[in-house]
Formats: sequence, structure tokens, C-alpha cells
Amino acid sequence: MAPYIGTATSRVDGLAKVTGTAKYAAEYNAPGLAHASMVGATIAKGRITRIDTTAALRVDGVITVLTHENRPPLADNDQAYNDDVAPEGTPFRPLYDGRIIFNGQPIALVVANTLEAARFAASLVRADYLTEPHVTDIHTKRDRGLAVKDPITPLDALFAPPKQRGAPGPALDGADVRHDGEYYVPIEHHNPMEPFASTAVVESDGRLTIYDKTQGVQNVQRYLCSVLGLKQDDVRVISTFVGGAFGVGLRPQFQAVLAALAARALGRSVRVVLTRQQMYVLGYRPAMIQRIVVGANANGTLNAITHDAVTVTSQHENYYRQETGWSGLLYSCANAKYAHRLAKLDLPTACDMRGPSAATGVYALECAMDELAAALKIDPVELRLRCYSDRDQHDNRPYSSKALRECYHQGAEAFGWHTRNPEPRAMRDGSELVGWGMASGVWDAFQAAITVRIRLSANGHAEVACATSDIGTGTATVMTQVAADMLGLPLDSVSVLLGDSTLPASPVEGGSWIAASVSNGIAATADAIRKELLRLAALMPDSSLSGTEADDVGLVDGMLVSRRDNARAVSIADAMRHSAVDQIEREITTNPIEDAARAHNTHSAVFAEVKVDEQLGVIRVTRVVSAIAAGRIVNTKTATSQILGGVVWGIGMALHEETAIDHRFGRVMNANFAEYHVPVHADVHNIKVIFVDEADDSNPLGIKGVGEIGIVGVAAAIANAVHHATGKRVRDLPITLDKLLGKPS
Amino acid sequence: MVLFDVPGKLNMTGQIRFVLDGEVRELRGVAPTMTVLQWLRDDARRCGTKEGCAEGDCGACTVAIGERRGVDDMRYRAVNSCILFMPMLDGKELVTVESLKHEGRLHPVQRAMVECHGSQCGFCTPGFVMSLFTLYHSGKEPQRETVDDVLAGNLCRCTGYRPIIEAAQRMREYGAKDQFHRRAAATARQLAAIERRDTLALEKDGQRYFAPANLEEFTACFEQYPEAALVGGATDIGLWVTKRHQRPETQIYTGDIAELRRLKIGDDCIEIGGAASLGDVFDALLAEFADFGEILRRFGSVQVRNVATLGGNIANASPIGDIAPLLLALDAALLLRRNRETRLLPIDEFFLAYRKTALRNSEFIDAIRIPRARSGLKFRAYKISKRFDQDISAVCGAFALQLDGSRIAEIRMGFGGMAAVPKRAANAEAALIGEAWNEASARAAMRAIERDFEPMTDMRASAPYRLKLARNLLLKFFLETSNQPGATRVIRRDMAA
Ligand code: FES
Ligand code: FES
Repeated sequence: MAPYIGTATSRVDGLAKVTGTAKYAAEYNAPGLAHASMVGATIAKGRITRIDTTAALRVDGVITVLTHENRPPLADNDQAYNDDVAPEGTPFRPLYDGRIIFNGQPIALVVANTLEAARFAASLVRADYLTEPHVTDIHTKRDRGLAVKDPITPLDALFAPPKQRGAPGPALDGADVRHDGEYYVPIEHHNPMEPFASTAVVESDGRLTIYDKTQGVQNVQRYLCSVLGLKQDDVRVISTFVGGAFGVGLRPQFQAVLAALAARALGRSVRVVLTRQQMYVLGYRPAMIQRIVVGANANGTLNAITHDAVTVTSQHENYYRQETGWSGLLYSCANAKYAHRLAKLDLPTACDMRGPSAATGVYALECAMDELAAALKIDPVELRLRCYSDRDQHDNRPYSSKALRECYHQGAEAFGWHTRNPEPRAMRDGSELVGWGMASGVWDAFQAAITVRIRLSANGHAEVACATSDIGTGTATVMTQVAADMLGLPLDSVSVLLGDSTLPASPVEGGSWIAASVSNGIAATADAIRKELLRLAALMPDSSLSGTEADDVGLVDGMLVSRRDNARAVSIADAMRHSAVDQIEREITTNPIEDAARAHNTHSAVFAEVKVDEQLGVIRVTRVVSAIAAGRIVNTKTATSQILGGVVWGIGMALHEETAIDHRFGRVMNANFAEYHVPVHADVHNIKVIFVDEADDSNPLGIKGVGEIGIVGVAAAIANAVHHATGKRVRDLPITLDKLLGKPS
Repeated sequence: MVLFDVPGKLNMTGQIRFVLDGEVRELRGVAPTMTVLQWLRDDARRCGTKEGCAEGDCGACTVAIGERRGVDDMRYRAVNSCILFMPMLDGKELVTVESLKHEGRLHPVQRAMVECHGSQCGFCTPGFVMSLFTLYHSGKEPQRETVDDVLAGNLCRCTGYRPIIEAAQRMREYGAKDQFHRRAAATARQLAAIERRDTLALEKDGQRYFAPANLEEFTACFEQYPEAALVGGATDIGLWVTKRHQRPETQIYTGDIAELRRLKIGDDCIEIGGAASLGDVFDALLAEFADFGEILRRFGSVQVRNVATLGGNIANASPIGDIAPLLLALDAALLLRRNRETRLLPIDEFFLAYRKTALRNSEFIDAIRIPRARSGLKFRAYKISKRFDQDISAVCGAFALQLDGSRIAEIRMGFGGMAAVPKRAANAEAALIGEAWNEASARAAMRAIERDFEPMTDMRASAPYRLKLARNLLLKFFLETSNQPGATRVIRRDMAA
């Protein structure tokens, strides 16, 4: 049997999805289910002086209206609201009291017999406020930011800017060429297609089952228990299918609390579904003002780089990631310095969004590199090769693997880069200007502790269980493939259980760490199963495998086979039956291998072609080649799809996506798909994904994960291409028509 | 209150009938503003159809509506069920994602989506499947351009679209005919049997809904209820209901009135009924004025075009509507009617002020008359928006030019997004009449445009950018119509990948 790992296996859940039978959080039913609709605050800061629910309560079918005045008890300390991935600060408490800390904050929940009644009644809830002045514009606070604190814990160190190295000041002064630029990325919203929803079902014994849209069922489960003061056994959280999340489902969201609260208050099952508009207060990619200064020698090597960033967070929590550190990591450069400040605004807390920190930080770095290449008159790819580093520049350690050079070569080759005329505005197609740009991408190859349970039955069926979510990335499919290979079974003999808080422990799904973690977890658990099978096989009379070491046998086609002599084999079923064993079950926790001596990263080289209408500034991204080095690719179909999706996110980031806030009210103006532009079909043309070979031995399967790397660098490649086409450098995203229609810079 | 006080044949059964999965469904007591999506998910427990936005922007709720074509054939259109009201299903077939699997086997569209990996998180998938289903049934070749058009109203945040495009191109490999083809004649007969010739009248919780079957009953009804909301496609009114929680007391649905959906191509003009959907007239307008077709294509998704009406778009008087500028340039006229009285009004006299029109009480747009393209007419229209498809225009400009020898005999320019109403550029036009059509005259007219408009700054564009666009659009029109080398445009010719 050929291995499934490394093949283009179709999704195991494809059938459920195309037939509409895959059930999402808002689609679970329960006897007497009530429907709830949330009411949001209409001011950005202040306090509710009076809340009037009488009109809402009068609507036919309305059961209750929960507000901070009549809600059931909620925990009264910050600790209780801290979840696995909460940043430092004071977490938001839904319906806790009358304080308003962001516009759109939930202030009431209308529960009714029908959704229609609930939504209508919600429009009748009135609140009076005492307003306080608010600030929601990053620009007004750019010079008054709070410096990110010096790291105390290892986790802090992951996110805080790295320490300065060398003496960047003098090095910059001595540079032959120096580029100094300020780049801007606006607030963006994840906009998964599925609205956030939770269905809280009151079971017959009074416990709660919450069907939730989340990237971490156990994170939500622990959070709800502590917030509501319930015992661990009282709450179960299930999230079998998730209609996309992209980071906004990492932390427990308030609709889960609201649903659980209402279910507790009424002793009745309740569903809360947020509207598209309400999802704009869940979290966002922080806007980022960044200044990069690079100094280079005439021969195209870097001698200094400094990266200063200001990013948005709320008043109550300090969210940041290592936005600036990528700049000093990627290229060989002896002197580097970083600064990161937080603009604390009266908004919800920012949160992770696809490729958090790298999508934005690397955008600035890679535009700066392009500007530097132009100043040095060196081809952009050539410049990157001259600055190439085989060692992690922060800690001066080698990489477990880094095939970025191959990415440059294969990507450039596939794109036809060598025919590029370096002069801006030199390439045309009819009346359109043509531009070619490129950029590098980088992301972490994380791995986390995870527990996997496998039950192998004598009839040849294996059940693999882990609490991880599958947010659409294909986790269930990858798990099935790995288990099938490790256990020597056909795909359809493996079933996967996931997205249930009662299953063996998993971290939240995000940061591209689940594929590597869970795959290695399955491999380790399957190993234990194999050992047990060998023990049973050796008990059989005249066993051909007696005396064989565990490492010398493999599982192939339902047989336990000696790796040295495949004539020595025992059927799994026989071995189990002989000892009257119906089922072997193993549950094993796999920790990431300690490998601090090496750096673990994924890389990419992105090449983009744009065509620009000269009179109108209309831009189209006509071609993208993305060459990826991400270790071993478990499933070429799901992985290609992840990268394609990431590239299209990058197109959106470069050209369309921007959350506009009306700062007078501190409110999002374009909280809908008509005005918040995610890319559509017509925006997507030729995209080619290349996975370059990259052998990595930092985990047994050599997997690194591909969820984030696809977006990193794309916006920069497009911005660089736009500059090449038009001679105009637009440094603030998105690059809209009006920004292009000025004088060439 | 007398609920129904209308002369004519009222159907007071309070019942709507439609076909679902081969069976006639009869529903009573449905609220006139209950959406098909609500009914599917809450009442019928068919959760395959998703709600992604509830405002017609994402396509997750796409279903197919089947209508009789002749006596024994069917045609299917994709619509957004989140802004389609239940009574509009009356007399139609409803097809949802659950309807496709047949005798235990996946539909060819579904198989293609699985094989091409067209689904990641899967939430958008049922909507895509249904849009592809209508493409499958259209008989059209799945060229890239066609696929783009059919899927323009379906958003996906995961796949990057390419796998779905591939699925569209390969779906017929998995079977050229499906069960809907096979039972088309039977379905057509079912629909014929439930066809209504009278006015459907519904009432619930103080809301009235009429669906007259002909013009006479419609006018009588509208006389009686001059305050009624006329509902063509519900693309706008659907939003009042789902977003603003407004409940119009009386609605009159115009989609069943054959006279108002007429399309007559006469020698002098094309006459389009006020309730004709953009989808109904798309082909004819495309054939006559290529750019009209292009703007209609980009106006909204197929789902929206299939229900939105030309009359509704005009009566709405949106300053940023994309249709009015074209009609201004083409010198269209509106046939307005109140009961038996009609009057013909040039379209530039129709828009009075922001969202105010010349329509009087109980008067409606009976038809739109667009003069046929005379030989030598040069017509171009441009829509400038941030995103190429499915976006509200920053500026929409349309130009029609007739030369007399080398002199300009007639020129009309209509603009949207430049003023409180869709408006002609009178100064620029005046600057050109009688002049030669050359770069100097074009540039003079570009300067004159600055006297025609004082646009606004808003989220979509700044005032100076809008003015610059208007001027550059005129320049573009000049370049495109004066055989200048290299003069072309950003459309989709080279987009097929
Ligand atoms: S739910 Fe988005 S278009 Fe209907
Ligand atoms: S597959 Fe997730 S939105 Fe399309």
C-alpha cells in the first residue's frame, strides 16, 4: 500500500460539505430551543445610565432581556476571564456592568421563541449613556504609545521586540546607501464566512453542551467554567465544523458567554448568532505604523536595520506579537534595533489574524528591501541572495532546515523573472503598465504538546481522537492520512473524532502548529499501539515475530511485518484474537522535541505581476508564483489550498481590505461585505504554488505547517510590482486607485 | 381595518404553492416578509443553505428558482434566499443544496467540488454548489469569463477561488444530465397546474401582500394603496426588513405581471417593462450596446441581477446607481403610468433631488424606452470602483457621441457619483457640440467638467479624485473613439487563465 502522507488526498469531510449536511454551531437543535439576539452599545466609551427593555419585552414571543442589571452571577476577578491565549491586561467581561469600553459592546441579549422576534425586539432596546471622550485613531496616538515591556517570561520573549545587536546608529551613518521609509497597514477584519454562533443546550441532567464556533474547544470550556463558576464536568464544548476563523476564534468570544448565561438563567437551550455587523467588534488585525531604516554597502550587503512599530490595541489589554523582529531575523546583518509601542485606543482588543505580525511586519521589510534594491541598482532577487543568511540572526544558531534559496530560484524560474526590465514603467501590455515585484516570506514552525488517543479494533478499524478543531484547514483529513499510514490501514478504516472538549487535550488551532503537533502525536500513539501488537504477536505459538525488536516491525496492510524480512509477518487481527483482545487503546501526550540549538521556520518567495490602467489607476494582480519551503507536505491538496487562500488574502491586503472607523463615534463604518472588500473571483487570476523540497528532522515526520506562510510577503510583492509598473511607491495599504493617480514619486 | 379592499379577482386562500423536491408544497399563514432563508432554516430544518450576511452580499444563501419554459421544459436561476420573501416562491420550483443528491449519488456539481477541493471550511460551499447548479443547467460553456460571472456573487474566504473555478470547468465530466433534466417535463406540468391567474392576497400581523397577475389588477391595487411598497426583486426592500426591521404595511409584488416584464425591440427603440429584471434584459442590451452589458455584469451578482429590476433601480434614484448614467447618455425616456393615464418623460427630467423623483402618487414606471443605436453612434460606459466586481462605484460615467463628418453633432454624458442625483455634464457637452473631435476639444471639455460637478468626499473616494476620474473618463472615451494607438481598457479580454 502506497503511503497517504505526501499525496493529494481529497478531504474526508468533502461529502458532508457539498451536500449541506455538515453542521455548524448555529445548526444544532434542542427541544424548546430559544433564539437570542444581541444588542450593541452605540457609544465608544462611558457608562450606561439607564437601559429600557420594556418595548422589547412587549414583543410577542420575547421571553426575557438580559442586561448587566438582571444577569445571573458572573465571576468578579480578572483571573477568571483569562483564557489560554489572552494577552496581558484586564479581559473584557460581557454584560458585567454598565461600563462601555468599545462601540458595539454587548449591552443586552434579547431571548425569544423565534429569531425574528428576538432580532426585532433587539432593535427596540434603548440605552442612555454618560459618554466620556474616546480616541480610536492610531494617528492621534502615534507619539504617545506605550512601549512594549521588556520580556519577563519566555512567552513574553516570543512577542516582545528582540534585543538590539551591534551598533546600528554608527553603522547606518557609515552605510553607502540608506533607505528610510514609513509604511502603514490599516485595521483589517477576518470576516470568516460563517457568523459567530453558539448554541447552548441544557441537557436533561442540567449540564450544558455548547456548540460553539471556536478554534479551541477546551480553551472555551475552561473559560466558561471559570466565568460562570461551574465545575469542569458541567460544561462540554463541541465544535465539529468551523466555517473559517483565521484567528478570531482563538479566544473565547462573547457570544458563547451570552448563550451559556441565558441558558443558565432560563433553564432552557438558547442559541446566539451574531450578525455580520456585530462580528466587527470581535477582534481585528491591529493597524500598524512602521518605520524601517536600512543601511547597505554598495555591494548589496546589509550593515544595519532598524524597525520601529506602533500597533493598535485596546485600553484594557496589551495585544502585540513580534511585529518588528522579523526584520532582524531574515537577512544577514550585524546591526539591528527594534522598538514597538502600543497605541491604546477605545476599541476591542486586537487579535491574531492570519500570519499575525509577519503579514504586516514583513510587508514593510520587503518593501524596504525593494526600495533598497532600486537605490543600489541591484536586482531584487539578487539583493536577497547577497543578504542570505543560513543562521538565525537573533540567536546566531543554525536552522533545522531552510530552503529559501531554492524558493528564490524555483520561484524566479517559474515566473520568468530573468526577462524583467528593471526600469519602472518600462513594461507594457497594450495600454496597460505591467509591473513585476517579489518578496520573501517567513513564519515560525511551532509545535505544541498534544494528546492523542487511538483505539484499534480487531476488525481493523481505528478511531483517532484529539480535541483539536478543524477550522477548515483540513486537520481531520491530515489526521486520517497520518493514522492510516502509521497503522497500515486504508483511509476508510480510520475515523477521526475532534472538536470536542471531552477528547484528549489539544492546544487551540492556530499559528500553523496543529498539523505538525497532531501528526507527530498520532505517530507516537501509533507507535505504542504497534508495540502492544508486537507483544501480542509474540505470544502466538510459533510466532514468526518472536524476538523481534519494536523498531524492526512496521504496520502494513493490516499486518505486522518485519522490516528486515517481510516474509515474517502476522496479521493484526490474528494477533489480537489470539489473546482475545477486541480493542487496543492508547492515549499519549507528545511534547515537542527540545531543539533550542536550532531555529525552526518556514519560508517563501513570492513573485507577483500586476497590470495597471494608466488613466484610471485600476490594478489587477494577473499572476502570482508562491514558492514555499515548509518541510514535509502531508497533503498536497489541502496544503496547496492553504497557500492559494493565503495568497488571495495577500491580494486583499494589498488592494482592498481596510476597516474604516468613524472616529467621531468610534464605530466601524463598513461593517458589511458590500463595503469591506474581501477579494472576489474576478480578482483572482493565475496563481502557482510550488513546494520546494525541504528535509527537516526536528520532528519524526518533518512537518512544519502551512496555514500562515501563504499570506506573508504577498502584499509586499504586489506593492513592489505596482511600483515597478507605475514608478509610484504607495506605502500605505491598501493601494487604492486614488493613491495611484497622483504624480510619480 | 379592511385588509383587502381591492376590485378584481383576489385569491384569498392565503396559501402559497411551490414545488420542492418533486412535490407541491402548500403553505398557509406565512408572513409576507418571511425570507426563504428563514423558512428553510427555521421551519423546514434544511440548514444546508447558509446565512453569511443576510444582505445579499455573500451568496452563502444561494438557492435555485425553477420556472417553466414552455410546456415541458424548465429554467433555473440563482437567487439570494436571504432577501427573497416566501410569497415570491408562489408558482415556482425551489431547489436547495439538499435537493441535489439523487439515489444516493452526488450530483455532478458536488462531485466536481469534492474532487477539485473546492471546499475548505465548507460554509460557502452550498451557495457555490447552487450557483454552479444553475450554470450546469444553463447549457453555457464554462469559459473562465462565464464562470467568473456566475460566481461573482459568491464569496469564499478560504479557498482562494481557483479550486472552485476548476470545479466549474470540470463538472460536466461527472455527468451531462441530472435528475432535473430528466423530470423537467413533469415539473413543468406541476408548475402549470399551480399557476395563478388572479391576484394573490396575503395578510399576517397587519402586513398585506398582493401579487397581481396582470397590469389591470395591479393598477387597481396600486390606486387603492398608493402608499404600498412596490416590490420587484426585493433586493432593496429585503434589506429594510432584515436590517432595519421595518415592516412595510402593504407590498405589491410586480414580478408576476407579464406586461411589466416586457422586452420589445422596435425599429426606433428598445422598450423594457418597469418590472423586467436585469437578467431578463441583459442579453438584448449587451447585443445593442456592448458597454451596457458590461456595466450590468458588474452591477451586481447574477443572484441580484436575476431579481433586481431596471425600473426599481431608476425609481430608487440613488446618486450612485450605475444604470441611470447610461440611460442619460443614451437619451432614454420613461413611460410613466397612473391607472390608464400615461406620460412620457425624458430621463433627465426624472431625477429632481437627492432620492426624489418626478413620480406622482400612484404613478409607476411602466416602461423604459431606449433609442436604438444609430449607425455611427459611439457609446462607452465606465464604472470605477475599488474592487473590480461587486462593488459600489466611486464614479460611473457614460458617453454617447454622434459625429457629423468630423464635427460633433450630438454628445451626451451621464455621470453617477458626482452629484446628489445622476446627472448630465451640461457644460462639457456644450463645449463640444459643433467642434471637431480631437484632443484639444476633449481637453477643453475636461476643463468644462469641473464646472459641471461639485462631488462629495466620502469613504469611497475624495472629491478631487472623483473630479479627476470624471475628467480622465472623458479622456479615455476620446482615446477609445478616435483610433488612437494603444487606446484600450481594463476589461477581461486577457483574463482567462
Ligand atoms: S446570506 Fe449573504 S447573500 Fe444571503
Ligand atoms: S471554504 Fe471557507 S469560505 Fe469558502
